[in-house]
Amino acid sequence: MAATLPDTTPSSLPTTALSPLHPTSTPPTSTFHPPTHASFPPFYTLQPNLTTRARQLDLWSTHVTTYCAHHRIFRLNLSNPPLNLFSNPSIHRSLKTSDIRVVLDHMSRPENGPRIEWISAGAKGEQSSSCYVYWKTPAEWAEAIYGWVEATGQKGAVLTVYELREGDAVREREWREMDEELLRKALGVLVKRGKAQVFGQEENAGVKFF
Amino acid sequence: MFLRQLDLTTALRPSLYDDESLLFVQDGVGLYEGKFKIPNYQNGHAYLTSHRVCYVDNGEPRKFSVAVDLKEIERTEFYAGFLKSSAKITLFPKAKRSGPQLRSPQPKYASPMDGLVRSGTSTPRSIPQSPAPARDVSATWICPICGLSNMVPSNFDPSTANQHTPLPPCQACGIKPPLALIIKASIAAMSNRPAAGTPAAPIPQSSTGTDYFPGKGTPNGRAGPNQCPRCTFENYPSMTTCEICGASLIARSTEPSTPAQGMQRPESPGPSLGSSILDDETIETIKLSFRAGGEKQFQDKLKTALTQRKWLLQSAPPVPRPDLSPMQPSFHASPAEPAQPSPSQQRMIGIAGLERRGAELRQNNQTVIGTAFEDLEALMTSAKEVIAMADEFAKQSGNDTADARSILSDSASALGLVTTKDMLGTGSQAETLYITELSRNLAEFLTDDRRGLLRKEGGIMSLVDLWAVFNRTRNGIELISPLDFEKAAVKWDDLHLPIRLRRFKSGLLAVQERSRTDEKTIASLLAWLREPQFAFPPPEDDTLGQTFGRGVTAQQTAERFGWSVGVATEELEMAEEMGAVCRDQCLDGIRFWENHFMRILGGQVDPAQMMNELRI
Repeated sequence: MAATLPDTTPSSLPTTALSPLHPTSTPPTSTFHPPTHASFPPFYTLQPNLTTRARQLDLWSTHVTTYCAHHRIFRLNLSNPPLNLFSNPSIHRSLKTSDIRVVLDHMSRPENGPRIEWISAGAKGEQSSSCYVYWKTPAEWAEAIYGWVEATGQKGAVLTVYELREGDAVREREWREMDEELLRKALGVLVKRGKAQVFGQEENAGVKFF
Repeated sequence: MFLRQLDLTTALRPSLYDDESLLFVQDGVGLYEGKFKIPNYQNGHAYLTSHRVCYVDNGEPRKFSVAVDLKEIERTEFYAGFLKSSAKITLFPKAKRSGPQLRSPQPKYASPMDGLVRSGTSTPRSIPQSPAPARDVSATWICPICGLSNMVPSNFDPSTANQHTPLPPCQACGIKPPLALIIKASIAAMSNRPAAGTPAAPIPQSSTGTDYFPGKGTPNGRAGPNQCPRCTFENYPSMTTCEICGASLIARSTEPSTPAQGMQRPESPGPSLGSSILDDETIETIKLSFRAGGEKQFQDKLKTALTQRKWLLQSAPPVPRPDLSPMQPSFHASPAEPAQPSPSQQRMIGIAGLERRGAELRQNNQTVIGTAFEDLEALMTSAKEVIAMADEFAKQSGNDTADARSILSDSASALGLVTTKDMLGTGSQAETLYITELSRNLAEFLTDDRRGLLRKEGGIMSLVDLWAVFNRTRNGIELISPLDFEKAAVKWDDLHLPIRLRRFKSGLLAVQERSRTDEKTIASLLAWLREPQFAFPPPEDDTLGQTFGRGVTAQQTAERFGWSVGVATEELEMAEEMGAVCRDQCLDGIRFWENHFMRILGGQVDPAQMMNELRI
C-alpha cells in the first residue's frame, strides 16, 4: 500500500486545502468531473472485505452527494437513477440495483449524516424506491434560509413557499427550485426553533420569520 | 569422545551418512551418564541407524542432540525396568587406551599434593573439580522398598532440605525415599566423618586404608587388601565393588587406572554434569532410558546392527562374488592371482574376445540379480549395485527418459530415508511416533534440494497433490493412508519444521515453506499488479493501467506464479481478506486489483472538499 499513484492521477489532498470555500457559487454550466475512483473497476463491485467495503461505501456516499450537489438533485428515484451516477460507460461497469440500495442504506444511517432519507413507500410492505439526498441536511438548509432572511431584512415579513423556491429574490440562492417537501422539512426545523411560523395550505402556504 | 555432535536435517532428524540406514525410532527417551541423568537430555527421540545411536532432543533439538557411533560400543546391557524405574539400555564404550586399567585417567588425576592437603574420606581426586562441597561421599540411604543402599546426592544439604527439595529415586526400584530418611542418612554420615578422617589430618586413619592416599598407592595396582569403606570387608584387590555390601570400591582407590567418575558421580549429579558432556572423555556408560516403551525392539535391532557392523562397509570394496563360476576369472582377477585363466583370456581377441566379454558381463549381471532378489534384506544390501546396473541398462537401451531417471533416483533415496511402520514398536505410543516420523519424513522430502519439489510448484502445493507425489515415490510399498498423511501434515507446526500447512478459507489444505509468509505473497502479488503503472515508456492507450495498475484473474495469477488455479484463487482471496487487493466482478469473471480504496482519499471526506477538487 505504500506505492504512490503516478502523477497522471490528480492527487486530491493537497489541492483541497488550498481551494476557496464557496462551492455554492459554482456556475451550473460547468460539467461534472467524476472522481478518479469512479473509473476504478472494483468501485462497481461491492467488496466482501468489510474494511474495504466500509471505505468503498464512504467513497460512494461522497460520490453521490457530490454528484447530486453538482446537478442540484434533491431527490433520487431508484427506478430512474440519474445518468452516469451509478455507472461508468467508459469502463463498462455499473453498480447493480441491489448494490445501489446497499449504498443508499449505508448513507441513510444516522451515523453517516444521514446523507439520504428514504421516502416511505405508498403501499405497505413495499420497498421505497426514492429518497431525499441531503447534500445539505434540513438543519443546514434552515440555517441558510434564515441567514438569508436575516441578511435581507425580511424578518417579520411573510413569504410564500413558492416565493422561497422560485421567486426572483432567490434565483442566486442554492435552494432555488428545491424539492417542496424538502423545503417544508427545512422550514419545520425553523418552526421547531421558534424562528418561523408556517400557515396556510399547500400551494399558498406562507411563512413568517421571526 | 564417546558422544558426538549430531547433524540434523531440516526436519530435525539425524542426517544420515551415505550408506547409513535408519533402523528404529523411539520417543520418550532420556539419557544417563553412569547412574545420573544428563540434564537437558531427558526427553527426546532415539534413532537407531546402521551406524549410530542418536538422541535428538524434543525441546531444543539443535542444541541437545548427540550420537554414539556403534563402532565405539563395546557391549550393551539391558535392564528391564522395575516398578517406577524405566527400562534402560546401557552402552559401554570401547576402551580408548590399551587396557581397561588406563581408561581415561589424564584430566582427573590430581597431584599427590592435593591428596596431602585434603586427604581423608573426602576423595582426593574429586577435589580439583569441585572443591567447595567437601561433603561425605559415602553417605548412603537404604531404600525402604527394595533395600538397596543408594548414595545421598552430594548437593543434598540436610540443613536446608525441605519437602520441595528434589530427591533422587532409588536406583533399583525408582521409588523416591521419604525426606526424613535421607536427612537422617546424611547427618549420620556427616557425624561419622571426623571419625573416618579429619580433613586437616595429613595421614588418613588406618581404618580407611592406606591405599586411599595417592602418595602411597602404587600407580598400577593395589598392594594391600582392598577394604570396603562401608562394611570394612577386605575384598580381593581387583574387585571393584564390595562382595558383601556392594559398595563401590573404585571410589576409594587411588590409582589413576580406574576412571575418576567413580568419584565424580556422587559429586556431580547437578547441572555440572551436562555442561560439557560432549567433550567429556571419561564417560563410563551411556544409558538410554525408555520411558515410553520400545526398549525391546530397540535392543533387538541394536544387537543386530552391532553384529552386522555395517560401518565397516562404509568405504569397503564391493562384496566379493565367490559364486562366480570359474568361467569368469577376470571379474576378480587380482594381481595376486595370475594363474592360468589370464593368459587364456588374453588369447581371446577379435570377435571371439568380444563375444566372450559379452558373455561374462551377462553372467555377472545374472549373478547380481540372482543374489539381490533372493530376499528383501539382500536387496537392501546390494541396492547400490542393482541401481548402478539399472542405470547401466537404461543407458544401453537408450530410452533414458527423464521420468525413468527421476523414478530411479527416487527409489534410491527411498531405500534409505523412509520410516516405515515396522521400524517402530507396538503400543499406544507407536502410532503417534509413526505420525511424527512421517511428518519429519515429509518435511525432508519437501525441502530436499535435489528434488526441488516445492520450487517447481511455485512454493506452494495442495496437500492432495503432495500425497500423490509422495506415495508415488514409495513405489507401491508402504503407502501412506490419507488419514495418516493429514495427521502428519498437521504435526508440522508442533514439530517446528520448516514446512507449514495452510488451511484456506474454503478448507483447501496447502503445503508451503514456513519462510513464505502471507506478507511475502502479497508483496509479490502487488509488485505484479503495479507493473503497468511503472511501465516505460507509458503506453498511450492504457490510462487505466497507469492509474490503477492491472486487474488479474485467478487464471492469470496461476500462470504467472506457477500455482494451481485453486491455490491462486485462495491466495488472491487471502490478499483480499488482508485488504491488499479488491475485486471487480464483471461479466467475464472476477478480476483482482490493488486496493486503491484505502488510498484514494485519506481521512474523512466531506462533500465540500470534493466539490473543490472538481473545479481544479
